[in-house]
Amino acid sequence: MESSTSEFLRGVLKTIVLKLLAERGTMYGYEITQAVKERTKGQITLTFGALYPVLHKLEQDGLLVTKSVEVDGRLRKYYSLTPRGTETAIQKVSDFERFMDAMRALLFPPSSLSLGHS
Amino acid sequence: MEKLSSQQITRLRHHLIQNGSDESLLSELVDHMACEVEYYMWIGLPFETAIDKAMLEASSDAVGTLQETYRDALTLKQENMAQASLDDIVFETRNKAYGAYYLRQNYGNSLRDALLGGAGFFLMLIGLISGLNQGKWSYMTLSGAMWLVGISCVAFSGFSWFIQNMKQKYMVVND
Repeated sequence: MESSTSEFLRGVLKTIVLKLLAERGTMYGYEITQAVKERTKGQITLTFGALYPVLHKLEQDGLLVTKSVEVDGRLRKYYSLTPRGTETAIQKVSDFERFMDAMRALLFPPSSLSLGHS
Repeated sequence: MEKLSSQQITRLRHHLIQNGSDESLLSELVDHMACEVEYYMWIGLPFETAIDKAMLEASSDAVGTLQETYRDALTLKQENMAQASLDDIVFETRNKAYGAYYLRQNYGNSLRDALLGGAGFFLMLIGLISGLNQGKWSYMTLSGAMWLVGISCVAFSGFSWFIQNMKQKYMVVND
């Protein structure tokens, strides 16, 4: 389970990050990992090694903007979506939903169809 | 929720540096680890156990993988690489808006302006001195011609320098 989860996760990491930011507006890295953990009841845990490259990449692509704030004696970097990021978030989520539908159809073919062939 | 002291944060920072974290991610990772430690302490672990647990998660392997993924994700892609200048490569992960990138990019222009301006000023001086020595000023003599060439060089370089300055002042850094 562990290894295949991280394998699947790699493809949807961007979507997850964009979706969470679209909902909550502004988040920092640790907050994102916690939100993912909470929602999936611990089934999916993002490691920092997976998360930060994606965040920086999205920032480089102009989908996110950052703001550094000093909190408890250390710098905390808050991420939020740019207008283009918001568009991309909507697009990615709907794409992913369609993909999941397709996967479901692939894994559980409707029984009428299989009857028709036999 | 208990907060970490600055010494404890420094310890995390050292741990990360020792395990190979570089500047671009360091402060963020420190915050991430600090949050983790604080969380472990909140659920009841003593500080030493909490920090050990967090440090174990940020082992040199984990940080190394992170740096590698980071480089793969963010460095110039092969197709951009073909048309990237050395400046682009050097400034790939650096702050371009700060000014050094601009200075480097326009080094050629600045050099041309400075040379032309210097040479022009020199010609003007020589032309003026030798013209004055002859006692009678005429643009048709050698000294007059030197003066003319000199003054046009200085004017050109001054104008070009001015334009460049304006460009830099009102430039929108698209990065």
